[in-house]
Amino acid sequence: MTLSYGIILILCLYTAIGVLDQISVQIGPYTPLFAATATGFLMGDLQTGLMVGATLQLMTLGVASYGGATVPDFLSGAIMGTAYAILSGNGVEYGIGIAVPIGLLLTQLDILGRMTNSFFQHKADKYAETGDYKGVERCNVLGILPWTISRMLPIFIGLVFGEQVVTLINEMIPAWVMTGLSAAGAILPAMGIAILMRYLPIKKYWPYFIIGFVLLAFGAEFFSVLGVALVGLALAGMYVTNQNNSGVLATANGNITCEDEEIEIDD
Amino acid sequence: MTKKLTKKDINKVYIRNLFGFQWGWNYERMQGLGYAFSVMPALKKLYSDDPEKMKKALKTQLGFFNTTPAMSSLIIGADLALEEEFGMEDEASITGLKTALMGPFAGVGDTLFIAIYRAIVFSIAAYMAQSGQVVGLLIPLICGIGVMLVRYKFIHLGYAQGKKIATEFADKMKILTEAAAILGLTVVGGLIPSVITYQLDLTYEMGEVTFSVQEMLDRILPGLVPLGIVFLCYWLLGKKKVNSTRLIFFLIFLGMILGNLQSILGIIF
Repeated sequence: MTLSYGIILILCLYTAIGVLDQISVQIGPYTPLFAATATGFLMGDLQTGLMVGATLQLMTLGVASYGGATVPDFLSGAIMGTAYAILSGNGVEYGIGIAVPIGLLLTQLDILGRMTNSFFQHKADKYAETGDYKGVERCNVLGILPWTISRMLPIFIGLVFGEQVVTLINEMIPAWVMTGLSAAGAILPAMGIAILMRYLPIKKYWPYFIIGFVLLAFGAEFFSVLGVALVGLALAGMYVTNQNNSGVLATANGNITCEDEEIEIDD
Repeated sequence: MTKKLTKKDINKVYIRNLFGFQWGWNYERMQGLGYAFSVMPALKKLYSDDPEKMKKALKTQLGFFNTTPAMSSLIIGADLALEEEFGMEDEASITGLKTALMGPFAGVGDTLFIAIYRAIVFSIAAYMAQSGQVVGLLIPLICGIGVMLVRYKFIHLGYAQGKKIATEFADKMKILTEAAAILGLTVVGGLIPSVITYQLDLTYEMGEVTFSVQEMLDRILPGLVPLGIVFLCYWLLGKKKVNSTRLIFFLIFLGMILGNLQSILGIIF
């Protein structure tokens, strides 16, 4: 199949919305999950989009911009990976295999965009000297340009030359690489989970981690991740209740009483 | 100060804080430019007829700032209260409030609104997408609107409490973060066996019978291989030289080996 310029432009526009979502409310369009799904939908292959997006999302669960650090651009990676997967007809693993290096490569453009914005900061300082608050406002609004251009440009170029790139890759890749990519796609979500474990207090709250694991390792037929989330919510609720109770007891008796939690799991 | 901020003014600040807070993000002052942009409706109301005060206010608000965007709503709310009460008579106290709160609030906010939020909301959506269900994408959208409402509460709470916010709110957030960490860790534990779909494609023959290694492992503990890979990643991330980019390359390399395990072993033995 071929990509029409109409779809390429819509995808560029989507990327702009995505990056603005990433730096504001983070409601969804910025994630690889939404981006790949949207690309799949526009190109008439929703399922491939969903699958590529799901794996990339799980892989990047813990990869977030803490304190303004630059992270790989998996928004653009997801769009191009999904588009190439559908264009070539090579399937989900191929899409993931393409999306990852593209995301890593485009990290540089994110840094460039953030650096460019220093220019507007300096301009705003000058406006502030004269009390021109409208000028200051304008500088912040202009900051949108480096953010969006740094994402739209590679997407546009990558998609316009999509078919040529796909044919080139197809001629280069041997079969064992595709088998390997398929296995890599299946284990990559481990990274997202491991990074989250680094950010969460797992040494303190390991019992809850085991409960979650056991529920889905042994009880996959009865449980879904949503079900496990509800169990987790109940456990979190018990923690809050206990905290509040021990707070009340502490003020009443002058010392802190700890209550032991009892957790029963019926299988 | 005779001028008062209305609810409408604060709502204008809220919308700007929601959408425009990081447009001008740069390495020098980070969210400084976006901060000034966000509070501008209030500055206009308070200082538009006093150019000297306006200059001072612009300079103060363009200063370095960086915290979790969700938590910034609370700080901006408190800032507006100070601004209204003392104005630019005491700009040091405004800078003081901002710099004193942004660090601790970023610690709580990054854990709660980024790490745990993603661990729960986006993992469930991705898990549903993995089984081909688009409807899972609604979950982040609904929760995202929830966060916007929380930030609306934050900015008005900050405004109502002013300086007190620093002490009173911190304790409540702490219990909430701990509880959310429990929920997050339960979900993370459950994710391991369900979303890492790799199966060892390895068999060996003993006389006439063919054994599947994966089936044998499943009898010991289902999800043992995914658990092993996750803990390998966890351990590697604790090393100084390993960041997420290097880990990606390692996992692709590992995938190349695991995907072709049978043929690799065939060549060796």
